[in-house]
Amino acid sequence: MLRRFMISMLLILSVFAIFGVVTAQDSATPGPLFEVTNKYTMATVVKITGIAWFDRMEQGIGWFGQDFPSVTAFQQGPAEADAAQQVQVIEDLIAQGVDSLCVIPFQPETVEPVLQRAREQGIVVITHESSAQQNIDFDIEAFDNAAFGRNLMDNLAERMNFEGEYTVFVGSLTSKTHNEWVDSAIAHQIATYPNMTLVGDKNESFDDPQVAYEKMQELLVQFPNLRGVQGSASTDVAGVGQAVEEAGLQDEIVVVGTSLPSIARDLIPTGAVDMISFWDPAYAGYACNLIALTMLEGKMPSQLTDGTGLPPFLSFGFPNLPGYGSMTLNNGKAFYGSAWVEVTAENLANYDF
Amino acid sequence: MNWRALFARQEFIILVILIALCSIIAIINPTAFLSVQNLFRILRACIVLGIFALGTLIVLISGGIDVSFPAVAITALYISTRIIVDTGIDSVPLAFLLGSLIGLALGLVNGVFIGIFRLPTLIVTLGTLNLFRGALLFFVGSERIRLSEVTTNFAEASRLNLVTVQLARGEASLHFTFALLLVLALVVWFILSRTMLGRAIYAIGGDREAAERAGFNIVRTQFFIYGFVGLLAGIGGIVYGILSREADPFSIVGAELDVIAAVVLGGALITGGRGTVIGTLLGVLLITVISNNLVLLGIPTEWQRLVIGILIIIGVGIPALQALRRRSTRLTHSSG
Repeated sequence: MLRRFMISMLLILSVFAIFGVVTAQDSATPGPLFEVTNKYTMATVVKITGIAWFDRMEQGIGWFGQDFPSVTAFQQGPAEADAAQQVQVIEDLIAQGVDSLCVIPFQPETVEPVLQRAREQGIVVITHESSAQQNIDFDIEAFDNAAFGRNLMDNLAERMNFEGEYTVFVGSLTSKTHNEWVDSAIAHQIATYPNMTLVGDKNESFDDPQVAYEKMQELLVQFPNLRGVQGSASTDVAGVGQAVEEAGLQDEIVVVGTSLPSIARDLIPTGAVDMISFWDPAYAGYACNLIALTMLEGKMPSQLTDGTGLPPFLSFGFPNLPGYGSMTLNNGKAFYGSAWVEVTAENLANYDF
Repeated sequence: MNWRALFARQEFIILVILIALCSIIAIINPTAFLSVQNLFRILRACIVLGIFALGTLIVLISGGIDVSFPAVAITALYISTRIIVDTGIDSVPLAFLLGSLIGLALGLVNGVFIGIFRLPTLIVTLGTLNLFRGALLFFVGSERIRLSEVTTNFAEASRLNLVTVQLARGEASLHFTFALLLVLALVVWFILSRTMLGRAIYAIGGDREAAERAGFNIVRTQFFIYGFVGLLAGIGGIVYGILSREADPFSIVGAELDVIAAVVLGGALITGGRGTVIGTLLGVLLITVISNNLVLLGIPTEWQRLVIGILIIIGVGIPALQALRRRSTRLTHSSG
């Protein structure tokens, strides 16, 4: 019997070994912003390697390398999402003498000391998804959470003909970004779309599509006139959309939310999910490195204060990097773009992550 | 029919509680509760819980307990999905075959420790619960797989229904795996009440030593019990994947408490020797109605656990009190 168990373990291992890799799709590069002849080594450190999200980011790093041929740009990261391992990767890159580091911290506070060491050695340090980071030159955020939430509400309202009952989902009441999206969306609805009504409390899905599914089934029984849902966790629209589809209400109920095409792909063409939104990691990675390069080339103005846009060459000279054409600065260190992507049945096929 | 015997039966008490609960909900919120949509929703929620409960019933009757079945189920689902993805043989029957075999194999691991080494069932299955789950996460992976991203037929099975009813707004449908639950319930009923194997399972749970003396092969029976429970868990895992449209290594685990609660509510003795398929199905139905419909009474979701807890104490407490009274009467008689 133990032998049978060992065989099953071997089977498990072999399955693991032949598991395929995600093939990333290629697109045109954004194009160089300015001429660079100096040679730089620019590293991007992600939370974990081998997942679709950061594979997509690596594509953006590839574009960056093509647009600036004198620059060596590459991406590294730990094999597991682990703070200590990420610190180790950064340590190694400092030892290799890179010119810039773009870090997507797994735990912002854990990387502070190593980022400080990097800056002491003159390395330009940029972070992404970490707006409160201290030991950095700049942080870059894909968008301002309140604006993102309002945009989702605009999409929901338009598809509901600006009237009817709607409800909202969050991962949990303590998920900071989710609640920022939803709160700004609700405030925006009250101010802009008076014929719409929020029903029920914020529904918690615990980032589990099954919980969202069961919650949505309950809501369908509880609120027979429900016409719209805004989701927050990437799995919310999957569970909600499944319940809508099974109830045959895909034409009656509008479902929008933050998600990824790989999670909601089967539900979007049927109309069970109407629109999803997220940010493209390829452009985020590109933007990180572009800011680092701007600093290395000495093109970053020394006088940057809160609320000012980026210098003209960034805000006007870069229409090919969608969402980062015009950014605002907060707390003196964090740049906010408006880089959300909207995916509907029309453009779903363009995204493979 | 002896009325006193009927009243004393756990199945009857559960039926009364179930009817009372449904009546209350139906009176307070008739349009929502008494709809085809809601009926199908309840039946659908019974499917996976019911399949797991059938396995747990057999183990409880034999005097054991198995808490490892959620890990068996998710391991069966996840590995089957990976095999289907990697080989490209996108077939629902293959998924069920693989799931059953993996479930059977893992169940037999429990059987070895329990049957041959005679270790306590709770300890063994607590151990294998963590072992299977840990091995799955470590060797196979922890990434959630959306079936529709990697398969076509396997994913399409989630849209296969037995019946679909058109409603004024939308439609209501009952998933095909509900039929599978009914078939499995029939199989378990047949084994328990119409075969010598079933007699052996009851006998072991009633009194192991007496069963041994009566000539039942305890080890072989225990191998059957834990292997079969693993098989049921494997099937339940595949059904769960089809219903939820994904294979997520972090799901299912935690289901064991509701399942055991349903079986115990349905009249199975935790000490073994007693339990019926019909009682178990009633228990599953009761737990499902509670966890899916209290919101129709305006009771917040957080209270569901409390209500389930109270019902277990009432449902299990009444027969226990009756048994106590019977024994004390018997004792008085024999001493007098």
